[in-house]
Amino acid sequence: MIELLPLINMMILLVTALLIVFIPIKRFGVIKIIGSLAFSLVLIFSVVTLLHVQANGAISYIFGGYERFIGVELYIDVFASLFTFFIGLLGLLTFIYSIGYVHKEVEKTQYSRYYVLIFILFFAAYGIIYTNDLFNTYVFMEILSLTACGIVSIKRKRKNYMASFRYLILNEIGSLSFLFGTALLYMITGYTNITLVNDALQDVWHLYPVNIVVASGFMIVGVGIKAAIFPFHVWLPDAHSSAPIPSHAILSAVVLKLNLIVLVKVLYNVFGANVMTSLNIPLFTGVIAGTGMIMGSVFAIAQHDIKRILAYSSVAQVGYIVLGISLMTHLGQAASYFHVFSHGMMKSALFFSAGCIIYVSGVRDVRKYNGMFKLMPLPVITFSLAALGMIGIPLTSGFLSKYYLGMAALDANQGIFVLVIIISSILNAIYYLPIVIRSFLQEPSSELNEISDSSIPYTMMIPVSIFAILILVLGIYPGILTDIIDGAIMSVVGGWQ
Amino acid sequence: MSALFDNIINHINQIGACALIVIGLYIVVMHTNMIKRIIGINIFGTGVFYFFVSIGYVRGGQIPIVNGDESGVMINPLPSVLILTGIVVVVSITVYAMSLVIKIYEGYGTMDQAEITRMKSGENND
Amino acid sequence: MNDIIVKTVARIIVPFIQMYGIFVILNGHISPGGGFAGGALIGVSLILYTLVFGVGAAEKKFSHRLGDLSESGGILIYLLIGSVGIVSGGYFLTNLEAGFLKGETGALLSGGMIPLLMVAIGIKVTSTIITLFHAMIEEDPS
Repeated sequence: MIELLPLINMMILLVTALLIVFIPIKRFGVIKIIGSLAFSLVLIFSVVTLLHVQANGAISYIFGGYERFIGVELYIDVFASLFTFFIGLLGLLTFIYSIGYVHKEVEKTQYSRYYVLIFILFFAAYGIIYTNDLFNTYVFMEILSLTACGIVSIKRKRKNYMASFRYLILNEIGSLSFLFGTALLYMITGYTNITLVNDALQDVWHLYPVNIVVASGFMIVGVGIKAAIFPFHVWLPDAHSSAPIPSHAILSAVVLKLNLIVLVKVLYNVFGANVMTSLNIPLFTGVIAGTGMIMGSVFAIAQHDIKRILAYSSVAQVGYIVLGISLMTHLGQAASYFHVFSHGMMKSALFFSAGCIIYVSGVRDVRKYNGMFKLMPLPVITFSLAALGMIGIPLTSGFLSKYYLGMAALDANQGIFVLVIIISSILNAIYYLPIVIRSFLQEPSSELNEISDSSIPYTMMIPVSIFAILILVLGIYPGILTDIIDGAIMSVVGGWQ
Repeated sequence: MSALFDNIINHINQIGACALIVIGLYIVVMHTNMIKRIIGINIFGTGVFYFFVSIGYVRGGQIPIVNGDESGVMINPLPSVLILTGIVVVVSITVYAMSLVIKIYEGYGTMDQAEITRMKSGENND
Repeated sequence: MNDIIVKTVARIIVPFIQMYGIFVILNGHISPGGGFAGGALIGVSLILYTLVFGVGAAEKKFSHRLGDLSESGGILIYLLIGSVGIVSGGYFLTNLEAGFLKGETGALLSGGMIPLLMVAIGIKVTSTIITLFHAMIEEDPS
């Protein structure tokens, strides 16, 4: 029975998306109840699966009961159940936040379509994490990018359409490159199942080095376009800054991380660490990650719109995660998984607080954020806490993730990356600290005097507070997460001899 | 010299698919008209699908339909079935991109992406 | 279009296209084709009807509400057929062990649950193609 829980998770999300179509448009309350129920059930089942897999080992579920090389397989180990718990938590809190916010950004006739898109997005998210088949990953990645474009263009403004078009074309090139890499691997191994490809590659990789390098190049570039790694990030600022605020959180905290999870699966599960290091591929991903960490922050310094600042900051944070992955050591992987969690919490807290501020006052330009603390204390406190976490002040989870990354870089004898992390933290401080200082210390401008934070609905304040509390908890006592992450690394096949 | 020609003729499918991929990528990168970029994505996708399907070919094989007598080697049907799903995905993306282009044309009045960027850069600076 | 030749020929041909589409769907397990190709054919027949007779007449034949319902209904039927395997103790989408009829090789009623899945996919693809076409040619109501 426990083995059916991952499948039941995916079916709950898909069936909820289909049932929302049948509900007439006027009854928004029904959508709220069904959606919250679905996300809560999925979160509970994810936690149960995580505890079961930690105790009993991985679950392998093949559709139709066929053999591995014919059927589609879902492989659920500690890595998969840990990240589905993370995505489930983000989904529930984002859904609660969006109930309060959606009437400002989306028209009334589009509510049901917006929520159908969100549920199908999470269905594709769970599919990517669970699946063990390369072509299945391609299909779910396409569903993810289509629904993400959908929730960007749900607002009927012309710049949303333009941003969504650019997002769509670039992501499509990325997915097709990934498919080309899969075709090259299918040519030399004859399988698309990830474990079978890994077994076959360990035997034959020295016979086809050119093929494997080309295949890994196409796959890394394809996933890199979709995850906004530095030179391929050009779609990100327009798409993220014109999206509605609840979908901005989903785009930045869920969609980018899922494509990085695909990168981890490809580099470790399909190719294996020893094949990668023999072909010198971590060098390239390390250089790209280091450049991204610095250039993302440099671009963010020049922006004035709060949403564009946060979008460019995502580019830098993705660089951190790719750096941890490309070090190819145990500590590097642990650091980048911890940073996935902490960045998800911090970025969501930043977006939701900025959303509360924009909801009440409509101000998006950071040069006008003088004295916001006196007008609405609670969103500004959570924003400042998350911003301090991004810079890396101790007692927050951001400091711990940078510390782990630095330790991992020293352990892998690549000390230059410690210097890059420090420079990037200084650059982060250059654009986050002025916002914090300006909102605490200066006097508010005269046209904002009559607003207060009592008009923010409680459905928006609860997720913000939960994220802020989690940032502090993870910063002070990270042991609850790092133990599970240690178990998750052990279970990723392909390298620790 | 004849070994090179033999190699080319034996792998003509893969060479043709790679040519389509390069043509499609060139169109997406170098042209600024939005409809042409959508056509470029289609050509790129067709090239990748053609590459995938041509892996399944077995020289001297029979059609993979069981008709009573199953002697001889059959062509691998698995890539064709996978690509059927891929074609449906590319079709839906093409339709979605074209609907977006219709709305963009109503909003901006032009279909040239360089011109729209020039118009938008005036709109974003505040 | 107001041309009498076009209208008469379209009125004669549309049932034959639909018959061909249904034939391709039902023979999905014996010959190439299946749900996607057959569904696209039936969808194209309704697009031809819309092009010749106008959007209003086509709306009476296949309304928006029917399109939404049949899109969701197609996937729900697929999930239900897959769940028969779970209920009878096996995996999702189990074919013969879940009790579907096997039949002889090459006959029409054979292959277990594959013809049923093809019908579900055919319904879904039909309504998808018609909805996509309507989304592109209609004036925006809101």
